[in-house]
Amino acid sequence: MKKFIALIFIVSFSSIILAGTKGVLYIAENETPENLDPANATNSTVDQLLVGVYDTLVQFTAGETTVTPRIAKSWSVSNDGMKYTFNLRNDVLFHDGSSLTAEDVKFTLDRLVAAKGNTMNDLAFYKGAEVVDDYTISLLLESPFGPFISGLSRIYLINKDLVQSNLGDDNGRAWLAVNEAGSGPYKITKFKPTEEVVLEAFEPYWKGWSGNHVSKVVFVYISEPSTQLALLNSGDIHIAPDLTVDDKVGLRSKMGFKVDIGAAATPLYFQLNTQGKKIMQNPLFRKALVMSFDRGLHLKSVLQGFGNMPDGPLPSNWPGHKKGTELRFNLNSAKKIIKDNGWTGTRLLVRYLPAIEEEKRAVEQFQSNLAKIGITLDTEGMTWPTQAATVQKLETTSDINMIYNFPSFPDPHAILNTSFNGKLTGYNGGYNWSQYSNNKVDSLLNKAASSSDQKERANLYSQVQQLVGSDNVVITVSNPGSVVALSNKVEGYIYNVAHHQTFNYMDIGLK
Amino acid sequence: MFKIFNYLRNPIEIAAMSFIVLITLIALIGPLVAPHDPYEANFHNTFSAPSFEYIFGTDAAGRDVFSRVLFGAKLTLATTLFIIFIVSSIGIFIGIISALSGGIIDNLLMRFTDIWLGFPPLILALGFAASFGAGMKAAILALIFTWWPNYARLSRALIIETKDKEFILSAKAMGVSDLRIIFSHLIPNAFDVLFVQISLDVAAVILVISGLSFIGVGAQIPLAEWGAMIADGRSAMSKAWWVVFFPGLAILLTAISFNLIGDVLRRELDPNLSGNK
Amino acid sequence: MPLAFIKNIFFYIGQRIILTIIALVVLSFITFSLSYIVPGDAALVAAGPNAGKVKIEQLRREMGLNLPFHEQYIIYFSKLSKGDLGKSWFTHQPILEDIKDLLPASTELVFFAMLFNILIAIPLGVLAATKRDTKTDLSIRILVMFGAGIPIFWLGLLLQHFLAGEAELFPIAGRLSFSNRNFESNSGFILIDSIVQGEWSVFVDSLWHIILPSFTLSVLFIAVITRTTRSTVMKALEEDFIILARSKGISEFRVIVKHALRNALVPTVTILGMQIGWMMGATVLVEEIFGRPGIGKYAVKAVTQSDIHAIVGVVLIVGVIFIISNLIVDIIHFFLNPRLRNS
Repeated sequence: MKKFIALIFIVSFSSIILAGTKGVLYIAENETPENLDPANATNSTVDQLLVGVYDTLVQFTAGETTVTPRIAKSWSVSNDGMKYTFNLRNDVLFHDGSSLTAEDVKFTLDRLVAAKGNTMNDLAFYKGAEVVDDYTISLLLESPFGPFISGLSRIYLINKDLVQSNLGDDNGRAWLAVNEAGSGPYKITKFKPTEEVVLEAFEPYWKGWSGNHVSKVVFVYISEPSTQLALLNSGDIHIAPDLTVDDKVGLRSKMGFKVDIGAAATPLYFQLNTQGKKIMQNPLFRKALVMSFDRGLHLKSVLQGFGNMPDGPLPSNWPGHKKGTELRFNLNSAKKIIKDNGWTGTRLLVRYLPAIEEEKRAVEQFQSNLAKIGITLDTEGMTWPTQAATVQKLETTSDINMIYNFPSFPDPHAILNTSFNGKLTGYNGGYNWSQYSNNKVDSLLNKAASSSDQKERANLYSQVQQLVGSDNVVITVSNPGSVVALSNKVEGYIYNVAHHQTFNYMDIGLK
Repeated sequence: MFKIFNYLRNPIEIAAMSFIVLITLIALIGPLVAPHDPYEANFHNTFSAPSFEYIFGTDAAGRDVFSRVLFGAKLTLATTLFIIFIVSSIGIFIGIISALSGGIIDNLLMRFTDIWLGFPPLILALGFAASFGAGMKAAILALIFTWWPNYARLSRALIIETKDKEFILSAKAMGVSDLRIIFSHLIPNAFDVLFVQISLDVAAVILVISGLSFIGVGAQIPLAEWGAMIADGRSAMSKAWWVVFFPGLAILLTAISFNLIGDVLRRELDPNLSGNK
Repeated sequence: MPLAFIKNIFFYIGQRIILTIIALVVLSFITFSLSYIVPGDAALVAAGPNAGKVKIEQLRREMGLNLPFHEQYIIYFSKLSKGDLGKSWFTHQPILEDIKDLLPASTELVFFAMLFNILIAIPLGVLAATKRDTKTDLSIRILVMFGAGIPIFWLGLLLQHFLAGEAELFPIAGRLSFSNRNFESNSGFILIDSIVQGEWSVFVDSLWHIILPSFTLSVLFIAVITRTTRSTVMKALEEDFIILARSKGISEFRVIVKHALRNALVPTVTILGMQIGWMMGATVLVEEIFGRPGIGKYAVKAVTQSDIHAIVGVVLIVGVIFIISNLIVDIIHFFLNPRLRNS
């Protein structure tokens, strides 16, 4: 009898807990995930799966641009900005039932350093971790770094005991490629990238399950846009991110569906080689180039309106954005500059990724406009690694390179520093493909990086944009929206600026 | 070469030959008569249907499809002829060496050729595209690497057949140098049959090149190559069928014409091969 | 068996095998050179964004990219002989595994294309030959003309758009419907495994999905075989032994099938054998359009990722299949062709 009552109790208790989770969410994705290793979480196909499977110390909630506490309840920064001390929650369980402690945090970071995980690239100046007690840990830096906390949003905390026993001789890369060791709201119950990946709700999750959540998430890998559309229409899937622009336009007005245009922050640039051949080194010539691209037409015709009108290299709604730093489209002025200086007949080379439709169209427009003002633009389509290789040396860098900036977190540092710091030029191994090296800009950027006064930082970044604009270093082509087609049954989907091309499935419920 | 007009027997063949003349003309002067600049993008006028001004409509960047098809003719024919010139030269060279050396060298060379005969050019092109970057270079190289065996075999067979003929033997007896014999007698003699192969190969090469461009390892947009144009227009096919249709039609008609003429040539120049009277 | 015959076998086949081995080595050299000269930087790619020069240099040393050409080739070749084709940098899986997983899909496609080919081309060719110079013959020849000149990918797009998209007679893409996506295929051959497991609906589903792509692939080859069959059958029908057979009073049907066709088939079969290699190479076009997994699609994706090892792996495997199947065809030919046997 007692057993019977206990059984009823357990069943009803778990159904109360699970009362918060119901339904199976089907998400289509056109690119199969690389693997499951958190060290690769800078790759969106990996991040897409892991964002709800692992926990982090702090995290950006979808729709917000500052971090909020997660495993770290609170934290303090030392006066010199080189030591961050975190107080951890004591009620976090890993999926195998063990408790998450400071040891796991230290292990995570040590392992990432040893495995040379790409997610460490955003934690500039990280030196090491010190366990103070079971639920307190200090992270040490070599020098202060303003956005440090934001960079922790992709440091997925792994289960030390579990991973340690599977470390092998490659820092657990082989094991973590196909297994998970997380504590997040969902656990991976099936990982078959060629078919589907299934996640199921982890009942004892520390946050609880109030609100509407799904009990299962299934990622299906469908490379054909037309197939994604068909399945969305038939109700077999709920989220289709990879439809053609035309399909998305059509769905906007279709009953039962909605199209979400996440205000993305992944600007597309024409980076002008400031240390290239003589004419490219001339800011006046670059000025003419900047005025030769019609961003409005691109937004209307190529993106079909899905995006924001760019105003400078930083997205307009970000802290620290300064208006009007980049010159607008004015082909007549551009033509005049070219003519007056006898630059007609100049030949330039642009490199880009033809596999990306938007880049292709931008190049075509640019080429056509430049032809009208007497400049011949040669184009060279490449693959990503090949293009990246060409900018590693000054001699092999082309006059213009197209590149997106995918900031890991919504902080001006992530865009401005990555794209304009002289230490991160292409020939220094970074993404400043304009090979732009301006000492004043560098010192402003470095100062802003080590400051924690947000007002001061905004001011410094304003100046950076001003200088970059007057030097005509880049042409910001667009701020494309992250457009996702969804069934009306989905509620709670919000685009997360800190995790591009992912879905906040842990906050989504089905009607 | 102009004898060919005498060989045409029925309206279809006449049509094929006329098309070839037409496409050659287009290749030569197309750039001059095209109504619009094939590379001029106009994003205010994308995907407009065929009209008086834009005979084949416009594509994703607002370019005139008709002008691009005209330009594509030049690109396609020039590339194809270039490739065929190179592979036939290489093939003939090897074929001559093999045929005239005889014995072990002949054996080895031919066995070696046999092994590579028909190696899928598409796959090799992908390899070259990865190494050198996608583009016509990779496509051309891959085709050269995979196509020469056909000509090697063919010319060897022809040379062997011819070299023991009366007039060659007497030329040798008269003391004519070997080199002269090769260039003045052997090769020209083989040429008729080689020409048949060339004509058929033009069609095949065009199909392979456009296929490579379609999957992205051949010509790159904005180059007005027929295969690349089809790939570019693919996603908008339901709303703008003309971007995919007309370049494809161009490929079809060109390939058919060259195939037909190849058949005509084979019928006239090499009766023992065809059996197709 | 006469001694001379055995000696012949050894010479002929032995020679072939040695040359095959040489060809394979040459192939490995070519594929290695391809990966060596690639301008992209494997270390850069592996290091990821914002890595910085130091880390990239470290990785470069680890990956052995600084060694001289011949040293790298020796490492490459020794790995090859162990069956190690390296790891794909985007799947992080051994390339040989990736290819093994995908090869069945491409093979199924080629198999069905061949089926279409044989079932359509040979009867058509015979028909044209027997009804030579009539309207039937002419219409078949016109069809052949179109078939030989049509670009495979264009045809695929048109068929997909009209028969699948508009008329909805066939699925647009994929190997199986969404509802069957979890079907576990042990061998990778869905058509075989579905029968073995008794899942008839899955079998029908996969059949339905393979018809359009394999037909698209076959059209070009059908044109060639139809034409070949037509001309060889026509030639055979002119031979003496046909007249003899006819005079014996044998039915026309038997004359055609048993006598003319059998003789005509030898060159046709040779070409069919060669076509297998060409088809394997062309699967990429069809896989791309119909969204099917396969080594062609894998290779194309590898190109866009500059994953040189993966592409080179595909070139190698396809090359090996091609070279070995040539050898097999040669051997079969040897036994079939009396002239070679006694040379």
